[in-house]
Amino acid sequence: MKFLINIERCIDCGGCWVACKQTNDVQEEIQRIRIVTVNEGVPGEKSIPVPCMHCDSPACEAVCPVGAITKRSDGIVLVDQSKCIGCRYCRMVCPFGAPQYEGSSGKMDKCTYCVELIDEGLRPVCGSFCATKALYVGKSEADVDSEASKIGASKLASVTNPDAYVKGSM
Amino acid sequence: MGTKTRSILGELSLSRRTFTKITAVVAATAAMYKGLGKLANYAKETGYVEDVIVEAASAAKTDKIKSICSFCSVGCGYVGVVEDGVFTGMEPWEDHPINQGGMCSKGTALVDVTNSEKRLKYPMEKVGGRWKKISWDEAIDKVGTQLNSIRDTYGPDSVFMCGLVHGSNEEAYLFRKFAMLFGTNNIDHQARICHSTTVQGLLYTFGHGAMTNTTIAMKHSKCHFFFGSNAAEAHPVFMQKIFDAKDRGAKIVVADPRFTKTAAKADFYVRFRPGSDIAFLYGLINLILENGWQDQEYIDNRTYGIDYVKEAVKHYTPEVVEKITWVPPEDLLKVADMIAHNKPSNLIWSMGATQHSVGTQIIRASAILQCILGNQGEWGGGCIPVRGHCNVQGVTDMCVLSQFLPGYYGVSSEASWSWYAKVFSETDYTSGTISLDELKARFDTYNDESMMTKKGFTVSRWYEAVLKPQSEIGQRNNVKAVVLWGEATSSITEMKREKEAMEKMDLIVIVDPFPTSASAMPDRDNGIILLPAATRQEGTGSVTTTGREWQWRDVIVPPLYESKTDMEIFQLLSTKLGFGDHFDYKSIEDVTREINVASRWIGNQGETPERMKRQKANAHTFETEYGRAVGGPCDGEYWGLPWPCWSTEHPGTPILYNDKAPVMEGGHDFRGKWTYPDNEPNAGEQILRAETIPAGTGGTPSFYYWSATGEPQKYGYDMTGEANQLALADGNPPSGRGRARLRVAGWIDEVPIHREPIESPDPGLVAEYPTYEDKEIYKLMTEFKTEQQNSITEKRHIKYPIVLTTGRQVEHHGGSAQTRSSKYLAELQPEMYVEINPSLASGKGIKHWDFVWVESARGRCRVRAYLTERVNEKTVFMPYHWAGIFEGESYEDRYPGGSAEYSIGDSVNIIASAGYDEQTQMQETKVALCNIYKA
Repeated sequence: MKFLINIERCIDCGGCWVACKQTNDVQEEIQRIRIVTVNEGVPGEKSIPVPCMHCDSPACEAVCPVGAITKRSDGIVLVDQSKCIGCRYCRMVCPFGAPQYEGSSGKMDKCTYCVELIDEGLRPVCGSFCATKALYVGKSEADVDSEASKIGASKLASVTNPDAYVKGSM
Repeated sequence: MGTKTRSILGELSLSRRTFTKITAVVAATAAMYKGLGKLANYAKETGYVEDVIVEAASAAKTDKIKSICSFCSVGCGYVGVVEDGVFTGMEPWEDHPINQGGMCSKGTALVDVTNSEKRLKYPMEKVGGRWKKISWDEAIDKVGTQLNSIRDTYGPDSVFMCGLVHGSNEEAYLFRKFAMLFGTNNIDHQARICHSTTVQGLLYTFGHGAMTNTTIAMKHSKCHFFFGSNAAEAHPVFMQKIFDAKDRGAKIVVADPRFTKTAAKADFYVRFRPGSDIAFLYGLINLILENGWQDQEYIDNRTYGIDYVKEAVKHYTPEVVEKITWVPPEDLLKVADMIAHNKPSNLIWSMGATQHSVGTQIIRASAILQCILGNQGEWGGGCIPVRGHCNVQGVTDMCVLSQFLPGYYGVSSEASWSWYAKVFSETDYTSGTISLDELKARFDTYNDESMMTKKGFTVSRWYEAVLKPQSEIGQRNNVKAVVLWGEATSSITEMKREKEAMEKMDLIVIVDPFPTSASAMPDRDNGIILLPAATRQEGTGSVTTTGREWQWRDVIVPPLYESKTDMEIFQLLSTKLGFGDHFDYKSIEDVTREINVASRWIGNQGETPERMKRQKANAHTFETEYGRAVGGPCDGEYWGLPWPCWSTEHPGTPILYNDKAPVMEGGHDFRGKWTYPDNEPNAGEQILRAETIPAGTGGTPSFYYWSATGEPQKYGYDMTGEANQLALADGNPPSGRGRARLRVAGWIDEVPIHREPIESPDPGLVAEYPTYEDKEIYKLMTEFKTEQQNSITEKRHIKYPIVLTTGRQVEHHGGSAQTRSSKYLAELQPEMYVEINPSLASGKGIKHWDFVWVESARGRCRVRAYLTERVNEKTVFMPYHWAGIFEGESYEDRYPGGSAEYSIGDSVNIIASAGYDEQTQMQETKVALCNIYKA
């Protein structure tokens, strides 16, 4: 799997958010990873980092009218901005809010699992810089699987089959 | 910025008139272009060249350089990626023992901060109301001439210098040396307003004022008690180790006036009233003693003064504690139970505990609690004061402080000065020599006393030395010039008085990578000089973490634009001022070597450049359970060689006061420094620990160590190192084996007692638990009782019925000129706000994100209202990282052309309390009274 998300460890420090912005030169107002906090300020407060989950059955790919979204053999889901018409269907169906739009271009932009780094044998920066190891990407996907098993994480449940484990609950 | 480009500019600046028509053609890769685009604009804008053409060139040469983050004191490692000389990115340093790759939003923004277009690019001067570019030669000449003139006319004490909390250990040492040779003790830094009360409280109780564990050691605790710390925001990577401990079954208890992000991780959370900390701690101690939960053997063998504590805590029954703190008895009992029965437990604090008028006493009460539980000396147990800026520990150790010389040699003792005259003269790292008499001659004399042995002013109230009449400041003339060397003006209180002082004085010098709000705050047309300093990413030297670990930084990129490293600026200024011969080091490593000779009380002999660099190159050999090297060139060493590191064979001391390990394995003990007070049966005798020292350590009870041959010297003054060797051969730390002092005889409060904050919401409690009498601290009369009574007489508890507390946000750091100049961090945390409970807000007709005025007896701030349950209806919270707006008025246009940070905001320290700590003059930023209304 691509991600192991440990809700108990996320402290909403923004490390993943800035690392992604810096490394991928992400435009202002686009957030390829978001940190969602619920029950702020009361017992039960939890934060969860939400990148694109590179789902096994990606709803975005299914609804795209121009076939701009594809899933690679390694599972990474990517958008071809030259084909994107900015219709926002993908945004409407994604359970995780991954597709984002920047005002001027109108094109969809989202997390690429740091595909350029992956192609050099490196790991996504959100996970590799996570301050508390809440968002874990390890040295490989096998590493993620092994760590998930070690801490008793379960698959993140959704009809789109996200490629991620989760530990803890909101 | 590539070397090719810099040399072009360098040539141009020498002969600008001849080359104004040049078109600079710069070969660059695509990666380089981003940084050079900005450079091209700057070059055109300043008229260096007529045009800059950036051409495509061959593939980038990529360097990867390891360094240490320059924000907080956890000391995270990272790898800087440099493409053709431009800092373009970062990679995680995964085998760094402390952070194992992880960093927070500030750390990951280092590239953006370093390359920010808001950087101060060249020296500037404010003349006739306008900012003018000047050359370095001009700048050094002007600053030097004016400082000399002030010294000649008014005396050296008419200059106050402060800052450099981000500086390397070496540059901090140079700063303190600079003041010594200039002839003043009016030098101080941010530790004053951060952990000065920690240093004082622990120094007097245990012998050393520092965190007793390393961050890695937190893994071993069974119960983390956060009391005055919001580590989830202030020290994110520290939480990584807390969670590691939690995975092993450790409990987390959080006591805080706010339900913070740290509280969200607690097994048990308790809310208490800001400023009632001692009552809370004594409530815990009372319950622990009543229930017999204390570690009696530890108390008997390793402490002195328990009877005084027992007497003092009797008063703090659960009912009394509830009245003072808002904490119900059952909650107090639960906390006591958890920390007493899940050991080793600890007490983790930062500003929540330190920033009070009774700050030193809160720290002492924390230390007393840890001794009663027998935690102090255990891995993961005891006192855990987590420090702020990346080198506040190091700059504190190098004593950029008005009461100490580097390594904690007190200024009041002539022996300290004699020691440093010897160090400066007998070490070969500089050409300068100086005798004690020559050193003394540089200082002023006032009222027939040499100012050399008088403490100077503090960073918390330096401006009073400008504003108060000369007769009230303990020196010959008022302060006329201030040098803000990497010091924010928005992190101290009473900002209106600070602003007034900055408008009245002759000269303001700001040395910083950014102009900062200090350049904009004072209403004046002349007399401000800005010197561009390089960031930590552009320099080298060592830096000390909160866990006393020394780490070496390498240069990621050379100083950008016309900035210079602090060391270079010290060398230029000292030459101009006539003592350059004491600053002509051949390398920064030679400064480290001088420190290895000079700083002996805390054992900085072992943190040599060679050992630090070797550790850096062999990080992969260090295991992460204890941070110790297994095999390899560093075998047996602890990461960072935490002080005391008594020799170049010593592995470092990760856990202070740990008497279970041999001293050459990092074992330690309470300092053998004190004698029993006069009213004790064994008055005058040395306070030593019990006869029995744990087997296998080879130690014996002992007082301080002295050298045996020649002229005997205490280990702190023994340049031969013989005293250290004698001690280590005996199996002892040179600092001896004493006892923790639960009672400090001679202090106003020999054991802590609760005293109401200066601005208290409850006059009834003030009557029962009044503050101190007014007293002189660091040359200034400081109002305690007077101000507390003023608050009552003026009915501030009615006019301003809401308790105001302040603190940190994870996205910003300190004064935050750096972080608010990062487009990413400014996007993530863009505006200043006040956290207000929804019920309190609705009662005032305030909706979420409305603009409101927050007002106190000292002024008001215009900020957004952030409705949240984090605070209760009686309290509000404001972060202190904001400046650039003053009482609602924007000062954006006052910054040098366009350099105002992306995010500016009003400053809470305009309205925070005018209370100060009784020992250190730390400001009481955690408790004030305010009111709020719609703007």
